[in-house]
Amino acid sequence: MMLTWEYPPKRLGNISDHVQALSHELVKRGHEVEVLTEDDMKTGVEDISGVHVHRVSNQVKTHPTASILTFTMTASVSMEREAADVIYYYRHVGKEIDFVHAHEWLTVPMAISLKHAFKLPFILTLHSVEGHRCHDNFGPISIAISEIERMGINEAARVIANTEWMRNEILRYYGGEHRNKVDVAWPIGGDWVQGIIKVYKKFLKA
Amino acid sequence: MRVLQLTWEFPPRIIGGISPHVYDLSRALVRKKAEVNVITCNFPGAREYENIDGVHVHRFETYAAGDSFLGWVLRMQKNMENKASDVVNSDGGVDVIHAHDWVAGVAGIALKHLFRKPFIATIHSTEHGRRAGLHNDFQRSIHEIESWLCMESWRLITCSHFMKEHVSWCFGLPEDKIDVAPNGVDVTKWQFPFDYWEARNRFASGNEKIILFVGRMVIEKGLDLVIRALPIVLNHGIPAKIVAVGEGPEKGNYQRLAWDIGVGPKVHFTGHIDNGTLRTLYRVADVAVFPSRYEPFGIVALEAMAARLPVVVSDVGGLAEIVDHKGTGLKVPPNNPGAIAHAVERIIRDEGFRKWIVENAYEKCLWNYNWDRIAEQTLSIYSKVFHEWDAGDWKPK
Repeated sequence: MMLTWEYPPKRLGNISDHVQALSHELVKRGHEVEVLTEDDMKTGVEDISGVHVHRVSNQVKTHPTASILTFTMTASVSMEREAADVIYYYRHVGKEIDFVHAHEWLTVPMAISLKHAFKLPFILTLHSVEGHRCHDNFGPISIAISEIERMGINEAARVIANTEWMRNEILRYYGGEHRNKVDVAWPIGGDWVQGIIKVYKKFLKA
Repeated sequence: MRVLQLTWEFPPRIIGGISPHVYDLSRALVRKKAEVNVITCNFPGAREYENIDGVHVHRFETYAAGDSFLGWVLRMQKNMENKASDVVNSDGGVDVIHAHDWVAGVAGIALKHLFRKPFIATIHSTEHGRRAGLHNDFQRSIHEIESWLCMESWRLITCSHFMKEHVSWCFGLPEDKIDVAPNGVDVTKWQFPFDYWEARNRFASGNEKIILFVGRMVIEKGLDLVIRALPIVLNHGIPAKIVAVGEGPEKGNYQRLAWDIGVGPKVHFTGHIDNGTLRTLYRVADVAVFPSRYEPFGIVALEAMAARLPVVVSDVGGLAEIVDHKGTGLKVPPNNPGAIAHAVERIIRDEGFRKWIVENAYEKCLWNYNWDRIAEQTLSIYSKVFHEWDAGDWKPK
């Protein structure tokens, strides 16, 4: 189960296209992928050449001072409803979701809640860290976001960084004690899908 | 019946009325053989797990600060949700999830879907009511969350018929989705031995009649109206004094008002006082006045009635339902100091009338506002939704 806050046609950054490419590659290799995403313009379930995309709109539309934090926390609960429905449907047909792959801090609150409710482990890809985005000027929102990133790293089964440099930055911000948890897997170029599947396999074996 | 109570405040953490409400309700539910798990915020000195009269209380970590109250509440509720999941998973389940106000409601919505269990919310107050309208995006956002909570909730509970009508209007809900279950009061809390004159002399001289006000010092609670009524009472030859308990942003204005109209020495502001002192005050005062301009329930009136203290209330909101005019107290029109003065005078001068209303009021507390009775009523709402859930196919697995 993929968790992402953007998925085509919604594009706010590069995660959208990355998650789409990854999902399609996984399906081509015979895996089952359920994508859960937030989208206010397009909602519902869609089967796109084997990838099941579940688009949910945030129930709360007003976010004071355009707060990404209040948006995330309410979108999370709106999406959990769909995630629970998917999980119960899988059980109904005699299958189980093996694990969750969450992208960026925005899906961390949701991934943690699914872990507590369903004992469903998650892998977290941090495409960036808050320290970089706020240039180390930690205001109240950035403190909250970096706390969420820290919680995500603590609760995740494995963490994926896109480059060796990002891995070092994650360890610099959130502590070297996580060094055995953080893997590097490139999001693009060469055999990138194999790199991510290698992390999946490493986790499933453990 | 296994019940999960979600609340952001529970003793010793007390911010408003939800804390004592959930405390008394949960204990009464346990007396009626329900199994109750309370999930609530931690508090300095309070244990992570506690068993209070059979109620399992689980406290979770919160944060020191957030980017805003709204951001903090939403993050706090995520921890509430996760703690509740852990409790449900380790305790072997839950039959009904019950959340109190939007500050616990979002966690309730999530848990409803994660565990596919019936979900109920009590709406103690609304953002629209608290702010007298919606004036900025924070308030609009909270209003939306409340509306979402009302939609997701299987049934809703309000504490008064006034609130039922208000919630129905505010969120466009059918009235038959809402049940009324009042707040209760435990009359034994006001039954203790004490030295009457020693206690009384701390607040007034021997011949002075004590007019008691308890409430936050905000415009909607209307302390200014009692202060304006005082000169009228004094002019009619009754030596009276106001004892005003509570804190709030309007306190300074009210103190100045008292001195401006010449009754400064006759109005005593106590600030926050402990429960013991407050209960003693209820016992030694001569009349209580609660002249609110807006009041979802009005638990202070119930407390006065339980202490056999005659009450004068404004004819608004929940207060209008608690008090029967000339039966269990006196009602006055809102915003009317003259009417308050007249009512206070009647109670102080007419001893027979005073006795009649306090005994009726005490009886009403025993019958209508008895926690055991309210717990039974609440349990019947739980079993109603539980049976509806049981008959349907929306279930885990």
